[in-house]
Amino acid sequence: MKLINRKNFISIVCISFTLIVCGKLLLEKSMGFIDAHYTENIFACLFFSIIITAILALHFYLQRFPLIPVLIAQYLSVIGVTVGFVKIADMIEKTSTNGMWQMLLSVTIPFVVSAIVYYIAYFRQIKKANDIIAGLNQNQL
Amino acid sequence: MRFIKTKEQELKENYLELHYDNIDSETRELISRLDTTLSNVEGSYEEKHVSVPVTEVLYFETVDRKTFAYTDKMCIEMRLTLNNVLEMYSGAGLIRISRSAVVNVYKIDHLQGDMNMRTVIFLKNGEKLIMNRGYKKEFLAELEKIKERNQK
Repeated sequence: MKLINRKNFISIVCISFTLIVCGKLLLEKSMGFIDAHYTENIFACLFFSIIITAILALHFYLQRFPLIPVLIAQYLSVIGVTVGFVKIADMIEKTSTNGMWQMLLSVTIPFVVSAIVYYIAYFRQIKKANDIIAGLNQNQL
Repeated sequence: MRFIKTKEQELKENYLELHYDNIDSETRELISRLDTTLSNVEGSYEEKHVSVPVTEVLYFETVDRKTFAYTDKMCIEMRLTLNNVLEMYSGAGLIRISRSAVVNVYKIDHLQGDMNMRTVIFLKNGEKLIMNRGYKKEFLAELEKIKERNQK
């Protein structure tokens, strides 16, 4: 089933963007942190919401390919976009010295966590399906 | 409704017999389920017309726009599409596992997942089928429905 399509693409971007910005603001408030690059970071959040939603939307078309190469290709695409984005941002306005590293971590950590959750959910589904099949086979005897 | 099983020595073929005065909803539902389960798959095998109970079919597959039904002993060429097969024998435990294959869930021994999230389906005769990631959700939902139907 196609979860992200042309009709809901913008809604998904908007919801993701709102949640990310709310998370950012709550974190900053709780830590007492004042963002010196508030406007730039808000647009960075919007940019990454669009890019990541677009890459996730491709998942439907890649279902016939083995998952590991698909995940690696998606990760490399996101990393490529991130590096490009930081380089351009650095040309427009000087970013912090470890800005690139922080951006890569911000992309890598959610990606790895999502992949682990995806795998755990998948193998649990297989176990559940095997239990149902065993039950059906038991009833047949 | 009561269900009575009677063992008869040296009976040549098992049979079901229904005794009724009025056919109520419970009986009607059971008859409709039996109609599908006891229906036959027809087609050609080695240029001869054959008819096999759908319950004996392990899986259906489309190859070069031709649909085949695979049993333990035969590969029957049919004049139906996979969608027709799913419509006609919907109550027989058939589930789509890829664009070109439908499996009989009662012929599955177990499933195994791999790191690429392709599910390997091990059939009771030792054959293996591959289920694509795109059909996993539909497969699990159908499996749940079959489980619920069997619990009734």
